[in-house]
Amino acid sequence: MRLELRDIRHVYSPGTPFELEALRGVSLAAEPGEVLGIVGGTGSGKSTLIQHMNLLLEPASGNVLVDGVDAATLKKSELRRKVGLVFQFPEAALFAPTVAEDVAFAPRRLSLDEDEIEDRVRDSLSLVRAEHLRERSPFALSGGEQRRVAIAGVLAMGPEVLVLDEPASGLDPAAREDLLRLIRTLKQTGASVVLVSHDTDEVAEVADRICVLERGEVRAIGTPSKVLYENLEFAPATVQTVAALGESDQSIGRPVRFEETLRTLRSLVEG
Amino acid sequence: MSGSVLRILADPGSISCESLTYTYPGAAEPALSGVALEVMAGEYVGVVGPNGGGKSTLLRLLNGLLSADSGKIRVAGRDPDTEPFEVRRRVGMLFQNPENGLVAPFVEDDVAFGLENLGVLREEMRARVREAIRAVGLAGYEQREPHTLSGGEKQRVALAGLLALEPEILLLDEPTSMLDAAGRREVLDRTRRLRGEKTILHVTHHLGELLDADRVLVMNGGRIVADVAPGRLISDADLLAENRLVLPPLARLAAGLGLGSSKLRTPEDLARAIGEKIRRRAGTR
Repeated sequence: MRLELRDIRHVYSPGTPFELEALRGVSLAAEPGEVLGIVGGTGSGKSTLIQHMNLLLEPASGNVLVDGVDAATLKKSELRRKVGLVFQFPEAALFAPTVAEDVAFAPRRLSLDEDEIEDRVRDSLSLVRAEHLRERSPFALSGGEQRRVAIAGVLAMGPEVLVLDEPASGLDPAAREDLLRLIRTLKQTGASVVLVSHDTDEVAEVADRICVLERGEVRAIGTPSKVLYENLEFAPATVQTVAALGESDQSIGRPVRFEETLRTLRSLVEG
Repeated sequence: MSGSVLRILADPGSISCESLTYTYPGAAEPALSGVALEVMAGEYVGVVGPNGGGKSTLLRLLNGLLSADSGKIRVAGRDPDTEPFEVRRRVGMLFQNPENGLVAPFVEDDVAFGLENLGVLREEMRARVREAIRAVGLAGYEQREPHTLSGGEKQRVALAGLLALEPEILLLDEPTSMLDAAGRREVLDRTRRLRGEKTILHVTHHLGELLDADRVLVMNGGRIVADVAPGRLISDADLLAENRLVLPPLARLAAGLGLGSSKLRTPEDLARAIGEKIRRRAGTR
């Protein structure tokens, strides 16, 4: 599925002294099977933007298109099944006595039969590598496990676009690796993933394209090497290192992912 | 009052724990088991380790948010379990999410909020608020509305609110994990300036934030499994791997290129070191 935002404007508290134009005409698309990273500072409009992706917020002007069809004409429930939003600290919404029941909660409201619900619970828990936790209480899990179970709850809705807002925040490095692996797996299933993060290392590792938001506008969008090397303040320290070297040696190129960066520099140092 | 002399003698900035054990209700395994810890006044101590290793539980016991199943615990000379309010007056805790702590419409009200509950005189309150805002580098922000601030600024407002209470001890629970690179630098710069003046326990997943700490505790499985200098920790590959710790990307890059990592802290440092290495190699040809 292709999710496109076309010239989205959003104004908070219009017509009041507190009026704030949070998005000033944002256009971008998440293509099927790609990971689109969105970076930007506080107040850049990241959180407002993702709430337009399934019309939790309605734009002052502009359109959201699902495979070319205006999302406003779709049933809200249909749109929200197709576009799954995982907010920051999603584990705060865990509530059921067991992991399996928690994950089954949303699909159960889709009036599916029990076999289908069970399939979805099993598949989503398997995607996040949490099958072994299914009978446990979500409250007795570690932070990383809780995060994965909460994401499984959204996956069980069968979304075609998954939007993750700061999904690795507060996770230890190992749990963060698990999460990046999950994003790569989801991509292989043909889903699109929109990854919003303040952690540029993370975005550089998995994104196929990166969008830099600034004060409610798209400052840059494109391949990671182009966007990061041309907007160095949003680039990982490793990329900044290569850029600093590249000033005197153009032949280095523009590696982005860690392993690629290490390989490039190694061949340079070892000749 | 009996015991008051001992209290005065007890070092107000110190922390001392023996055989501390705590199990969350309904959990199969203890979150902390047999933890012993001595921190002297003015020390800057980092705490690292995997999620579920016991870091946050330890902080919550130290300021009396949780109460230990067994063991002995003294914070600023007092038992947080029996005197939680006395302890919390002396211990400031900074959390991950800067949004959660901010309550008032203006920065200065927010910073004053804790003081208002302590019955501090108005003039003194004003002076303390002014000083705390200055100490976090936000002079001029007194009348700003917290929701208009960046993440790093919000977290500094929260820190100012703690400093206004003049605590001897600061417990920092991943205070930068929700901030972007600029916000992280701002907050770390301010906490570093408090070094020596306050006793600081700093929990983080970013080893790079602890390179200047006096020592680092590694917690795993509810125990303190190592208590080492930061320089030793980052060069001990086994200790790092056993505790699922990862070096910051820049340090990993430096190590992967055979360059010592502890002194290369910025991209510019590393680029310079790589440049020298390339030139040396070219020179030996």
